[in-house]
Amino acid sequence: MKTITFTVNGQKYTREVEEHKTLLRFLREDISLTGTKEGCGAGECGACTVLLNSKPVNACLVLAVEIDGKEVITIEGIAQDGKLSPLQEAFERHHAIQCGFCTPGMIISAHSLLQRNPNPKREDIQEAIEGNFCRCTGYLQIIEAIEDAAEQLKPKKSKKR
Amino acid sequence: MQFGFTYHRPASVIELCELLNRYGAKCKILAGGTDLIVDIRAGLKKYDYIVDIKNIPELNELSFSKQKGLSIGAAVTCSQLIEDSTAQKKYHLLCECAETIASYPLRNRATIVGNIVNASPCADTAPGLLCLDAQVLIKSSSGEKTIALKDFFEGVKKVKLAPNEFVSKIIVPPASAEAKGAYMKLKRIKGHDLSLVSVAMAVIKKNIIRVAIASAAPTPVILPDFSKNTKVDEIINVALKTVKPIDDIRSSKDYRLHMIGVYIKRLYEQLIK
Ligand SMILES: Cc1cc2nc3c(=O)[nH]c(=O)nc-3n(C[C@H](O)[C@H](O)[C@H](O)COP(=O)(O)OP(=O)(O)OC[C@H]3O[C@@H](n4cnc5c(N)ncnc54)[C@H](O)[C@@H]3O)c2cc1C
Ligand code: FES
Ligand code: FES
Repeated sequence: MKTITFTVNGQKYTREVEEHKTLLRFLREDISLTGTKEGCGAGECGACTVLLNSKPVNACLVLAVEIDGKEVITIEGIAQDGKLSPLQEAFERHHAIQCGFCTPGMIISAHSLLQRNPNPKREDIQEAIEGNFCRCTGYLQIIEAIEDAAEQLKPKKSKKR
Repeated sequence: MQFGFTYHRPASVIELCELLNRYGAKCKILAGGTDLIVDIRAGLKKYDYIVDIKNIPELNELSFSKQKGLSIGAAVTCSQLIEDSTAQKKYHLLCECAETIASYPLRNRATIVGNIVNASPCADTAPGLLCLDAQVLIKSSSGEKTIALKDFFEGVKKVKLAPNEFVSKIIVPPASAEAKGAYMKLKRIKGHDLSLVSVAMAVIKKNIIRVAIASAAPTPVILPDFSKNTKVDEIINVALKTVKPIDDIRSSKDYRLHMIGVYIKRLYEQLIK
C-alpha cells in the first residue's frame, strides 16, 4: 500500500492505494466515481478515458499510484453546478448516445479536442476520437454532435464569418 | 495477488541505478506503461518491483543542438515529440512515424524509448529512427555507452540490455537533421491499428537513400545505404532479399512482400524522382 495525494474533479483526496491497482479501478472502486467505464482494460477502446493533468489518457493503463500530486478530471467533472456542458447537451440533441457505455470516454476526448482546437475540421474530430470505440450509435451522430458543440462554443463575433 | 508488485518512483538516476542493482531481473522499468501494464494485466509477465522513471528530471528532457542533434530522454512521450516545433522541422520523418502510433490518449503516455526497448517487430518509431541513424545511450551504475540502434535490436521483443542497465536517451545525430523523408504504414482499418508492414525512406545529406522496414522480420530492419542515383527496382530487390516476413493473424507473408515493393516505389516517386 502507498499513500497518495491527488485531485479529482477539483476535490483534493489523500488515500491509501494498492500499488498494482489501475487508476480506472481506483476511481470506480475507491472513489466511487463509476462514470468512467472499463471496456477492454487494454488501451484499445477508450471507454476509460480521463484527463490527467489536462490530457486525455486511458485510465486502464495508468496505475493509481502514478497520480500522486496530479489532477484528474472524469466525466463527473464535466457538468458544472448540475448543468450539462454544451458538448453534453449536443450529444443529447443529436442522439449521439444509445447504450451510453462509450459516452463518458467519448465526451472526455471531444472535450479535450475543443480545448486544444476550437475550430476542428471533420478529420480533426475523427482523429481525436480514433481511440474511442462506439459499438452501437455509429460515429456519424457523435461527429455531428461535436461539430455542433464547436459551433455553440464559438464566440459570437466569429460566428458571423 | 496475481498482479501484485512494489512500486518505486526514484527521483534521480543514481537512485534508479541503485534499484536496478538491488533487484536485477525481478524489477522492470515503467515508462508510459502502454506495453508493460497490458502485459502484466494479461498475466504474460510478473515482476516483484516496478520502477517508474517519469519522476527523474533528466529523463524528461527533449532538446536539440547543432553539435549533438536531437536528444530524446527516456520519459519523453510521443505527443511531446510531435508537439515540439524543432523536432517537426528538423526530424520530420521521426515525428511522422510517432504520429501513427495508436490513438491520442495512448500517445500522451507512450514514450519513444519505450517503443524501442519493447522492440516489437512493428514498432512504428523504429523505421524512422533507423533511417536517421539513431544512437541509444545506455547507463548503469558502472558507466555509460552508446550503441547504434540497428545493433540494439536482437530479436522479437529482445534488445541488448542487461538487467542493471537502462536506456537514458535516444540521440538522432545532426547529420540526419532536415533529411527529407516519409513513412508508409499498412493497417487493416483507417483508425488505430498495428502495422501489417511499414516502410520509411529518407534522403540524407541530399545524396544517400536510406530505407527501413518494420513488421517484416523478427526486428525492424535497415537496408544498406544507396546512392541517390540507384534505380528503384534495385532497392526493392535488396529489400526483398533482406526481410523475412511471416504469415500471421494480421497478414500473409506474400501480402507483406508485395506491399514492401509498392511502398518503396511510392516513397521513391515522392522523395527522389
Ligand atoms: C491499444 C494500443 C495500441 C498500440 N498501437 C501501437 C502502434 O500503432 N504502433 C506501435 O509501435 N506501438 C503501439 N502500441 C505499443 C506501445 O504503445 C508502444 O510500444 C509505446 O511506445 C511503448 O512505450 P511506453 O512508454 O508505454 O513503454 P512501457 O510499457 O512503459 O515499457 C515498454 C518496455 O520497455 C521497457 N522500458 C521502457 N523504458 C525503458 C528504459 N528507459 N530503459 C529500459 N527499459 C525500458 C519496459 O520495462 C517495458 O518492458 C500500442 C499499444 C496499445 C496498448
Ligand atoms: S478500458 Fe481502457 S481503453 Fe478499453
Ligand atoms: S452508445 Fe453504445 S457503445 Fe457507443
